[in-house]
Amino acid sequence: MNINRLMLLSKSVKFGKSLLTSNARHAAEEVTLPHRTFKTYGRNLAYAKDLFLGKLNKAECFPYPEISNEELEEINSFVAPVEKFFAEDVDSKRIDHEAKIPPETLNGLKELGLFGIQVPEEYGGLGLSNTMYARLGEIISLDGSIAVTLAAHQAIGLKGLLIAGSEEQKAKYLPKLASGEHVAAFCLTEPGSGSDAASIQTKASLSEDGKTYLLNGSKIWISNGGFADVMTVFARTEVVGEDGVKKDKISAFIVERAFGGVTSGKPEDKLGIRGSNTCEVSFDNCPVPVENVIGEVGGGFKVAMNILNSGRFSMGSAGAGMIKKLIEMTAEYAGSRRQFGKHLSEFGMIQEKFAVMAQNAFVMESMAYLTAGMMDRPGLSDCSLEAAMVKVFSSEGGWVCVSEALQVLGGLGYTKNYPYERYLRDCRILLIFEGTNEILRMYIALTGLQYAGKVFTDKIKKMKKGNVGVVSEMLGKRLGEMFGRSRDLGLTGTDGVVHPALADSAKKLEQNVVHFGSTVESLLYRYGKTIVDEQLILKRVADILINLYAMTAVLSRSSRSISIGLRNHDHEVVLLANTFCTDAFFKNNYWMTQLQKNSLENQDENIKKIARQVLEKRSYICSHPLDRTF
Amino acid sequence: MNCARCLLRLQSPGILAASVRAAVRRTAQHQLSTVPSGITPHTTYSQTLRHFHGSTALSKSQAVPTDQEEKDKSLITYDDLFERVARETKTKATFNRVVDVFCNRDIRRRGHVEFIYAALKKMTEFGVEKDLTVYNKLLDVFPKEVFVPRNFIQRMFNHYPRQQECGVQLLEQMENYGVMPNMDTKVLIVQIFGEKGHPMRKFQRIMYWFPKFKNANPFPIPRQLPEDPVDLARLCLTRIANDLDSKVTVHQTPCSDITESGEEVTYPLIVGIQSPDQMELLARHNPERPVFVEGPFPLWLRKNCVYYYILRADPLPPDQKVELPYDPERSFYFPLQLDLDLDRDLGDDDSFDVDDVDEGPVFAMCMTSQGNQATLNQWISGLQENNPVLGLVPTLFRLEAGPAELLGVSDPDPGHGYRPGGAEETQTGAETEIVVEEEEVHPLSQRGKQ
Repeated sequence: MNINRLMLLSKSVKFGKSLLTSNARHAAEEVTLPHRTFKTYGRNLAYAKDLFLGKLNKAECFPYPEISNEELEEINSFVAPVEKFFAEDVDSKRIDHEAKIPPETLNGLKELGLFGIQVPEEYGGLGLSNTMYARLGEIISLDGSIAVTLAAHQAIGLKGLLIAGSEEQKAKYLPKLASGEHVAAFCLTEPGSGSDAASIQTKASLSEDGKTYLLNGSKIWISNGGFADVMTVFARTEVVGEDGVKKDKISAFIVERAFGGVTSGKPEDKLGIRGSNTCEVSFDNCPVPVENVIGEVGGGFKVAMNILNSGRFSMGSAGAGMIKKLIEMTAEYAGSRRQFGKHLSEFGMIQEKFAVMAQNAFVMESMAYLTAGMMDRPGLSDCSLEAAMVKVFSSEGGWVCVSEALQVLGGLGYTKNYPYERYLRDCRILLIFEGTNEILRMYIALTGLQYAGKVFTDKIKKMKKGNVGVVSEMLGKRLGEMFGRSRDLGLTGTDGVVHPALADSAKKLEQNVVHFGSTVESLLYRYGKTIVDEQLILKRVADILINLYAMTAVLSRSSRSISIGLRNHDHEVVLLANTFCTDAFFKNNYWMTQLQKNSLENQDENIKKIARQVLEKRSYICSHPLDRTF
Repeated sequence: MNCARCLLRLQSPGILAASVRAAVRRTAQHQLSTVPSGITPHTTYSQTLRHFHGSTALSKSQAVPTDQEEKDKSLITYDDLFERVARETKTKATFNRVVDVFCNRDIRRRGHVEFIYAALKKMTEFGVEKDLTVYNKLLDVFPKEVFVPRNFIQRMFNHYPRQQECGVQLLEQMENYGVMPNMDTKVLIVQIFGEKGHPMRKFQRIMYWFPKFKNANPFPIPRQLPEDPVDLARLCLTRIANDLDSKVTVHQTPCSDITESGEEVTYPLIVGIQSPDQMELLARHNPERPVFVEGPFPLWLRKNCVYYYILRADPLPPDQKVELPYDPERSFYFPLQLDLDLDRDLGDDDSFDVDDVDEGPVFAMCMTSQGNQATLNQWISGLQENNPVLGLVPTLFRLEAGPAELLGVSDPDPGHGYRPGGAEETQTGAETEIVVEEEEVHPLSQRGKQ
């Protein structure tokens, strides 16, 4: 009996293999087709999305994007004065304490041109690329309040104009915005509407003469809301649809404070980024000329989405900049303080904290500049998925690192004498704004699953109908995986793009990617479109993808630095990259095991049950340990 | 054990009411004088059991039938003792006095079993049926150490069965009224019956189950219901609604006023409840379809029954149901739906196949002390303040007959009460059980008589 089974098994393996090779040929054909389009039309492949199919688009991320020598010189010429300004003229403690950025500091920022980093030079901005913007972000992030003020101004506030504004609008508003004479703000959130467009209440009604819109409603948590002169405001407008039915749709408007009817509330008293101004902005019959609609009437949703999606990538470099600074400050303390006749830096647990910080900064940087480089490539690029991953990874990594740095100082770190508590407060916002990490995880997972679902639908349908060919192909694939056949996706070897010193890590990434592809397929098989409601699964899918992207970025960057012989590349390659990849590999494997059906590691049902019972009563429902029944 | 209980059931109603008592007396005589030919097995057992009893009082009465009068007399004496002492007031103090009188009368506590049985019956009358200290005091009536088995033979057989049975009965009554014994009870039981007697076992069983059941109800009712009808209505409504968001509104507090013409007008109490979800449902209600005020529906809270009314609509016919179409421009951050042609796999579909009966929405609930249309109309107009749609919707009243007033705990007015199940005003759940038993016993004793 057993022998029979073995025979059968070996047969099926062979069968599977033959099927596989044929399938691989098919796959190769499939891949080559878009490759050709890539060459002709520039970039339209998406690296992260392809990971969902178990494919590794090495052309996308390897080699690591570089900037030319001239650009490097240019950026260095910008960076030096900014660094000097932040070191000498910015008093972060005072900004935090007084909850206000002093006017002279703001003027300094304006003189440096930091209010128009990405505004084209023809409109008086610096016209820097995404990569350069990320580089400046590293320094600006040393003060959270300034970083948020600037980000609200240009990453979201005036981004609408840059993305969808008409020539006249750009010419009218951008020069003053770029010089900092006017400050911009982005008004989307409302008391009843965070990420739900349907509950936006602010209304814009066309006047009788058809020349102005009257804006009514109020927006909350508007950064720079207290003093912004130009605002991008989203409001409902009545639009006649194609079928002739009137519908409420969202439109984007440029609103000047000078139009009248704009009032700002009291600034919010916040936990961190206290120097940035956040308040409520109300519009009471504020007249907005028709020509101030950004894009087309009723097209505000797309504008908002594009602005939000494009503003996130710089958070990676910002986080890295902050951590690098923290490492310097903390290491000094750890090297000088003595306990039991030893320096703090000699204790293993303290050393671990520094390793964590260095590794996090390294990965964040790698991801941020890879994404920025991808965005800077010619052609239409959609890097929103990658940008979202950078944001999630760096905000969470930043929070951990700041907390670890504070821990090294112990009680001193907890006092206001040291800046750690301020960094801790400031960086907490990173997990919340520009789309909370939970929402971004949903975005990451669902965008990828939608893409993969389109590709896999036919195959899964055939499998469900019991098509012998497809089923046995699947079986063969599973068996192959089971017997540990390593999958070669071409990162190493003859056409390899990864340096041999990183071959082990590259193999790990390949194995993870293949496994991830089949996990996604089985998830789609099991849940279909109802996976939207399985948030705990989506969270894991997003986490795995973030790790895969981080591994790619690290491998790509390290391969480059070892190949061109950058300083300390051995530290980078052998230690940081390999350590991170191994760590991420095991984490991914664990998560993917959890995603298997009937997995023992998966506690989702219990987790949901606990939460449901607590939420039903809206309180902690366990009896007190000291309670008695008799 | 079982037989002993049967016996008790036979005895207990006899002591309860005078008329039944007579019947039992006759039955008892009958049983004693005739051979158990047509008698049910229950009575037979009880009789055989009686022969085992060790109490002198009983064996005497059995041995000489003429002593029956004396035994009855003694029973009456204990009943009488309670009646006499507590002629004016029946309180805990008087009850305790009776027990003290009994204890001090005779150092040997002669007839304590009968006394305890009689006292147990009287406890409800004195309102001490839920008082642990009184139970302990009653238990204290038993002489100590006399009934504790001293050798293995005594331990093996039922030592002093009548006394043990009486102790068990006392604990059983505590159990029925939900009184949890305490350490004093345990000490007393150990002193009287020893570590392993039946009362001790009973005590241990109670102590095993009571704590487990104590918090078993996920919707606990307070032991003492609020006396104020407004508070009571609030409690009831939040209990039914089970929605933490719902808001209770007192539309009208009860008061009486004298008009100019000298007539006294009483304004009834109206308390309503509505949750934001219900308001939203009502706002979306099609004004052409009527809403109904229905009631009264009963709600039992311990021994009180209150009535409530609901405002509801019929379920929408299937053709009128409008599902909101998926709007792709809804979420700024992530897609709310996937555009895929794949459904959940059968193997991962954990939902049950439940036949859902489509019930209409309930928009609000209220309680009132006067369930007539005028009062309920007042409630509806009160609701209209927050639900303007009610002004447009035709409202139909479908009220059932029967007085349905919100009665406070403090004013048990039997004249008003429409009490389903024929339960009496003061009855508790535990007592209902006893009533049922009584009814079962009646035919039995009747049969015994024939």
